[in-house]
Amino acid sequence: MKRGLLPLLLGLVTILDVVFLALPTLVVLAASFTAGNIVTFPPQGWSLRWYADLVQKPEFLEALGRSLEVGVVCTALAIPAGTLAALALARFRLRGAAFLQIYLLLPFTIPLVVSGVGLMLVFGRLGWLGSIWPVGVACCVVNLPFMIWAVAAAVNHLDPDLENAAWNCGAPPAHAFFTVTLPAVMPGIVTGALVMFILAVNEFLVSLMLVDARTVTLPVLVYNAIRSIITPDLAAVSVVYVVLALAAIAALDRLVGLEIFLKSKQS
Amino acid sequence: MTHRPFSLRVLDAIEAVRVRLWPEAFRPLTPLAFLLPALILTGLLAAGLVPLLDASFRPLDPATFRLAESYAAKNYITLLTRPVYGWIALRTFAGAVIVTVVTLILAFPYAWTMVRTRSARLRRCLLSALFLPFFIGQVVRAYGWLIVLGKQGLLNAVLASLGLPPLSILYTYGGVLLGLVQYMLPFAVLMLAPALTAIPKEIELASASLGATPAATFRHVVLPLARPGLVAAAVVVFTLTLTDFAMPEIMGGGSNKFVASAVYDAFFQLADPGLGGALAIALTLVGSLVVGTALAAFGLGTLGYVQERKEAS
Repeated sequence: MKRGLLPLLLGLVTILDVVFLALPTLVVLAASFTAGNIVTFPPQGWSLRWYADLVQKPEFLEALGRSLEVGVVCTALAIPAGTLAALALARFRLRGAAFLQIYLLLPFTIPLVVSGVGLMLVFGRLGWLGSIWPVGVACCVVNLPFMIWAVAAAVNHLDPDLENAAWNCGAPPAHAFFTVTLPAVMPGIVTGALVMFILAVNEFLVSLMLVDARTVTLPVLVYNAIRSIITPDLAAVSVVYVVLALAAIAALDRLVGLEIFLKSKQS
Repeated sequence: MTHRPFSLRVLDAIEAVRVRLWPEAFRPLTPLAFLLPALILTGLLAAGLVPLLDASFRPLDPATFRLAESYAAKNYITLLTRPVYGWIALRTFAGAVIVTVVTLILAFPYAWTMVRTRSARLRRCLLSALFLPFFIGQVVRAYGWLIVLGKQGLLNAVLASLGLPPLSILYTYGGVLLGLVQYMLPFAVLMLAPALTAIPKEIELASASLGATPAATFRHVVLPLARPGLVAAAVVVFTLTLTDFAMPEIMGGGSNKFVASAVYDAFFQLADPGLGGALAIALTLVGSLVVGTALAAFGLGTLGYVQERKEAS
């Protein structure tokens, strides 16, 4: 009897977790299809009017465009920076490796609100404020550990003898890098890049301090809107994020398999 | 000469450029060159701390609304003596402790089921259920909670249909913590899962065959082996909660602010960069102290970029 109790408990908590994780998303989806003027439960009939409303409001579409731009800039920077750093950390015997690891974990140890204000001051001095691309740089800076983690995990699972074999067979360094190393760590790069893109499109707090009325990104726009009045058009905007998230999950599953996140670090 | 495929000729060209730009003599510098972009990007962050530290030691002159030319500790004294900051600090710290404990209790079974299930489909479903909220972002999730917990929200609609009185969780401390636990759950599970994968099933079987009850196996075998993951998850959840801004702002309705809001308000509402700088530096120090202590005591765990190489015995 006792044997069955623990698995039952684990299973029950897992089911509770699934509901808990999904609830806000499902509710947003339901609310976006309401026919009423306010968000109530049960919804007052169903319609697509809030989506039609959305398409007619240029500010949401423009903010979405800017957020996607932020995501592209962030990912384009993160791929080379994170990949090379992960390779260096995992492959070379570095002096001060412990210090380097801690330094590169700074984006994680410095609170986001502090990073935001600090980057605002630095970017202000560099004359970078007022454009979109610095927001992408900032998103890359604060989320870079995710990219390094993803690639480092792939490098840790790569057998160094593969590269040694390539060199032994006479492959020049560039050949070995592009035909052996890079393909072997590609799952890590793809994973990291997708995560960086999604995090940048969702990034809120750092953007809040770097944008003005002309460069507002979508999460900041949603934040400003929910602080005043909760209308169903925001639910329709939020569904954009649900769709993006689903696309990213499908891409991850297709390209590398979601199971990559379960891999143990001790190979 | 045999015909060389196009792809190899491209690589030859890259190699030729590399030899030109990066001769053999530079070889010892290769690791540094690999690290340089990441070091520069992270350097932007480190550079941001300098003006904050500087401003934190300059009190605001109420007459001119400018920071003083000379250094003084006044801003830090204000933090320590004004009761409102004590309350915000206490609220934040207590919240971080509660959220960390609750999140780990909820995350462990999820990670365990996900890692140990024999059904590949269930595993993928659980992973998707985890990534969907993780990829949706904090603001949209908070918006979802507003709809669930609001006066005319889902929760109260369900309660009313059951003939129960309405609950007002929204804009309370409990509501903030609820939102935070939901936000942190995917982080915790993703930090735990690799550590649980590393625990061989045979060890549990061995423990069971030696007569240990499932509870004893869990307590004395599984939990100690899961420690690297538990430490990493606890550190991540604790620091992210300690420094969170959006959830307390949105779900707290303005009266349940955490330290991050105090930093933001000092800069953008009080327009006092000195006080804001002091708050920012204090928050950074406390956060780093917690992370540093945990990492010094338990090692980097699954937080480290590089696996700790164990010497073969």
